[in-house]
Amino acid sequence: MRRVLRLVLVGVRTHVSYMSRSPIEITFAVLVPLVYATLAVYLFRAAGDPDRLLTASVGAGLMGIWGSVLFGSGGAVQNQRWLGTLETLVVAPAPLALVLLPITLATAVIGTYAMGATVLWGVVLFGVPLDFAHPLLFLLAVPVCVLALGMMGLLLAATFVLLRNANALANPLDTPVWLLSGLLVPVTVLPAWTQPLSWALPTTWGARAVHAATSGGDVITPLLAAAALGACYALAAVLVLGRVERRARAAATLALA
Amino acid sequence: MFRFPATARLVVVGGAISYRALFNWTTPPMFIGTLLVGPLLQVFFFVFLGRELGVADDRFHLVGTAVLAASASCVYGGTMAVANERRYGTLGAVLLSPRHRVPLWTGRALPYVLNGLFVSAFVLTAAALVLGLPVPAGALPGLGLVLLAAAGACSAFGLALGALGLRFRDVFLVSNVASSGLLLLTGAAVPRESLPEWMRFAGELLPLTHAADAARRLTAGGGLDGSLLGTELAVGAGWGLLAVALLAVFERGSRRRATLDVM
Repeated sequence: MRRVLRLVLVGVRTHVSYMSRSPIEITFAVLVPLVYATLAVYLFRAAGDPDRLLTASVGAGLMGIWGSVLFGSGGAVQNQRWLGTLETLVVAPAPLALVLLPITLATAVIGTYAMGATVLWGVVLFGVPLDFAHPLLFLLAVPVCVLALGMMGLLLAATFVLLRNANALANPLDTPVWLLSGLLVPVTVLPAWTQPLSWALPTTWGARAVHAATSGGDVITPLLAAAALGACYALAAVLVLGRVERRARAAATLALA
Repeated sequence: MFRFPATARLVVVGGAISYRALFNWTTPPMFIGTLLVGPLLQVFFFVFLGRELGVADDRFHLVGTAVLAASASCVYGGTMAVANERRYGTLGAVLLSPRHRVPLWTGRALPYVLNGLFVSAFVLTAAALVLGLPVPAGALPGLGLVLLAAAGACSAFGLALGALGLRFRDVFLVSNVASSGLLLLTGAAVPRESLPEWMRFAGELLPLTHAADAARRLTAGGGLDGSLLGTELAVGAGWGLLAVALLAVFERGSRRRATLDVM
């Protein structure tokens, strides 16, 4: 157990350092969410809803975290393939899921830059007061949300092992998850048939917990739901990865897929 | 016998060959996912956000975001038209050509104009059908013109950003920020009246702003506004001139410093 924990911690540290030196990662993690935060603030102001400006900033931050996880996890396997290290990772004694987990967690950690940047942006530029309903729970909700997102990223990374162009799937997945998870728009405005899809996403519960910690409401229940769903996604990722890895080995397509 | 004039051949055939060469990695799923499905889902996001906040009606968000959809292919395409030549090591060969740079680079931008036009038309049609937004049949020719002008202006903007690829190493960073900036400043997603004066002014100088307004007017049955179309064309021409000037300046600088292929 200690070795597993060490592998994950060292992996996360390594990949966070690696990604933090990439201008494109930082652009995605900071500058693009700032544009969305600005847009959200002006839209909320135009709607005559200044009380929810902090919610708008936090929502834009969550959108940034998801963007980082989506493209980071989608690109994780592809990057290793391009670097020629995917085969080495697959034959390593550690299970592939444990090798990929730190990468996906690192993308989520990098995504938290977005949360920090959008909240700070709101405070400095728009004078949004840092009036959190549950400040301590907010500090708990964000890491749990990040962890749940990392698990979702792991499942994505697992399915992307077999895809030559993971971006083809990753690019259109950005906005539906923003919508279905209620990161900026409450899911209640969506058609009723989308509700089950929303409930099945850890992002929905993670976002609900973060928003509740920001503007008031029950934080613990959605937080536990996000953690539980995240664990389910991690389990599914391990199963999918095992199957995908066996298929890729048998067909000798790991480097080609 | 018909002879294809040399300049037209350079623009059309040269542009088509460069497009095929630079995007040989593109697959149908990549095209559909990135350029068609992604922007379509973005339309839904802004329409539902608009419905929740009640800032503007469905038409405002749907048409604005559909016109903006051209930016994905035009801005990134224009950037890649220059930056990828450098990345693939073929830029030197391209710039060895004795041909005039204006038709050379215009040909590069042409496929992205057509691509952007197709993407915008698809997104607008699909979103209008799904969300039940009526578009008058009489508005279609005008709408085609407006979308063409928008795609042209946006491609010129992309080419100007791509010119920076001759000078800077990571030009995609610039195109990512510029692409997000278009979303904010062109009034595609947020009514420009609610933006500060300097942001409104920046929007005036950017592609898509006037085309989005003209398209909204057309879909509402208001007819083609010649001044908006003319302004969009003028903005596109301005960005086109800037692109050619930047490409010429950076080409000379790269030759002088022998940094053309330095990554």
